[in-house]
Amino acid sequence: MIEVNERIEVPSTPQIVWHLLSDPRAVVDCVPGAALGDKLEDGSFEATLTVKFGPARVTFRARIALELDAAAMTGHVTARGRDNQGGTRIRAKMTFKVVEQAEPPGSAIPIEARVEISGRLASLVEGGAALVVKRMTGEFTERLATRCAAATT
Amino acid sequence: MKVYQRLAGNFVAEGVTHVFGIMGDGNMYWMHELDRLGGVKMLEVRHEGAGLGMADGWARVTRAPGIATATCGPGVTQLATALVTAARAGSPLVAFCGEHPTNDDEYNQRLDQARFAAGCESGFIRVNTPDGADDAVRKAFYLARLESRPVMLSAPMDVQQMAFDDGDEPYQPSSTLFSPRAVQPDPAALQQAADIIAGARKPVILVGRGAQWSGAGEAVLKLGDRIGALIATTLMAKTWLSEAEYHVGISGTYGTRTAMQLFEEADCVIAVGASMNRYTTEHGYLYPNARYVHLDSKPHLMMSGGRSADCYLQTDARAGVEALESLLARRSVKLTGYRTPEVKKRLPYQFEDRTEFPIEPGSVDPREICLALDEIVPADFGLFTGSGATAGFSNILFRRRRPVVLASHFFGCIGQMLPAAMGGVAATGNKPALLVDGDASIMMHLAEFETMVRYDMPLLVVCMNNQALGSEYYKLDAHKMKAELATIPTPDLGAVATAFGGRGRLVRSIGELRAAAGEWVARPGPMMLDVRISRSVVTLPYRRIHYGRDE
Repeated sequence: MIEVNERIEVPSTPQIVWHLLSDPRAVVDCVPGAALGDKLEDGSFEATLTVKFGPARVTFRARIALELDAAAMTGHVTARGRDNQGGTRIRAKMTFKVVEQAEPPGSAIPIEARVEISGRLASLVEGGAALVVKRMTGEFTERLATRCAAATT
Repeated sequence: MKVYQRLAGNFVAEGVTHVFGIMGDGNMYWMHELDRLGGVKMLEVRHEGAGLGMADGWARVTRAPGIATATCGPGVTQLATALVTAARAGSPLVAFCGEHPTNDDEYNQRLDQARFAAGCESGFIRVNTPDGADDAVRKAFYLARLESRPVMLSAPMDVQQMAFDDGDEPYQPSSTLFSPRAVQPDPAALQQAADIIAGARKPVILVGRGAQWSGAGEAVLKLGDRIGALIATTLMAKTWLSEAEYHVGISGTYGTRTAMQLFEEADCVIAVGASMNRYTTEHGYLYPNARYVHLDSKPHLMMSGGRSADCYLQTDARAGVEALESLLARRSVKLTGYRTPEVKKRLPYQFEDRTEFPIEPGSVDPREICLALDEIVPADFGLFTGSGATAGFSNILFRRRRPVVLASHFFGCIGQMLPAAMGGVAATGNKPALLVDGDASIMMHLAEFETMVRYDMPLLVVCMNNQALGSEYYKLDAHKMKAELATIPTPDLGAVATAFGGRGRLVRSIGELRAAAGEWVARPGPMMLDVRISRSVVTLPYRRIHYGRDE
């Protein structure tokens, strides 16, 4: 189990940030290696995610569901997928919230995520997987922050 | 004649020339008879498990059964780790062991040796009666050779002392039962394999020990030229064919980044005499886009993860590769494959590890040790690489093809390569060789350095000494736990080697290493270099596995 706790601070109002985050395509665009596919009948999305573990690249096919609570400005993202060799499963849950922040003025987005990798790949990447996920999360928050900042102006 | 005398005579008739082990009252009569018969060199060692490890090294070099011996009970239990290692290595071995007397259930050295052997993944034959003595030895050698595995021949002490009536019948050795023949490929399967290869754009030929054993080298190179293939090896066939222009080293955890990037493009992997286990293909992740053609002499082999090749070809490696090549030639198949100027440009630098680490004063960068030794030690000297963290340096950075190159890792244990190297050296008629292993590994069977001195074995033991259980040190560090818990100081092993009657040096710089290795090359003999290495240098596999880094 890999746990991630991040907090992004952006100089935009919560409304601007929420508007951006409630667009699944915009959020997925910020995930390195991810591409969103078709929207399915139940409202979830098909997606692919390519992750580099060392020099080896592994592509996961995933189904992503997004639950949004506009009033509370919170979102839950769940993703379940398996890789293109069929031997590894990945499950991820992420919760984010947009809150107003006084200092520095703008918004804060606390993000909590839990990622589980099971199956063949897990034995191969051991502790390194957590670092890979953390690095991806870092890149995700950076991209998201850039996008939110751009939306301000 | 007593049964033990017949048993000893049968071993001689099987062609045995070397026996590794320790004498006890369960095997001393048998050893006494071997000595009386002559022609068999008995190497007395300091631990039965090390003796069996030497027999394993012998078997891995000669492909003939290696012979170990131990007394009953406590001598046998010492064999455990070495037996499992040999079983996993697929080494043909016969271990002659005494067994407690059949008529004494309270004998203090009693042991259920049949269950012990089964737990150690080894075959078991007991000499139950005098009349069964010939059958027992013949079957032990037959199974060892046929199944390529260790077999314990267990001879109860009372049965050994019973009378044997030979009736002037000479012993019929196991070779009278069968002689191995090369398996020829099935024509239909061959056509199917050729179809897959002919349709490929980026083929990789991956060779393992089976290809080496069958002498498939030239055939592999010829096929590689025809289809523009990259040549890669398993860890066990390390550096084999490394003179080939498009050789990319090992496929697997010890692969280079360049190799892995090229493998990702592969659309066809032709595996020859390789088990295709999870380490070789990284569970298939190294070849996400490839179809597999798998050549092996076994009826079928499942690859890692329960997958089967797209075309499995039961065949002797050499016969199969030759047949494939000529079939493709008849079909006028000629592919460019990987053999382009762009790929060629990337290969000369593929083994360079440019990541910099701070080196503590008085310690050596372990990568430099491998590069220097590979250059200084002549190519006709053998190489044995050890286990544990330091194998992450030696298994990647030694690149020269040598007549004998053996790696560890069959059971993931430390301590097994010093004995295996000694057995390997004995198997080559005492040709000089080099062992590179870590400090915890070498300390485990350090007493066998004395054995090495007694038999004047020309083995250079290079101890990459980080004064730690390296694997645990880096794993604890990666988990942000107390890595210091895995550190253990050692004495000056150069001085220990000297005290044992050999030569030795404590080495703290690359210059000292070069001087000491040069001295050994000029006059090979039992010698140990205690090279103090920097702990800050992390192996490439550990950087990937534990630190999530790419290089």
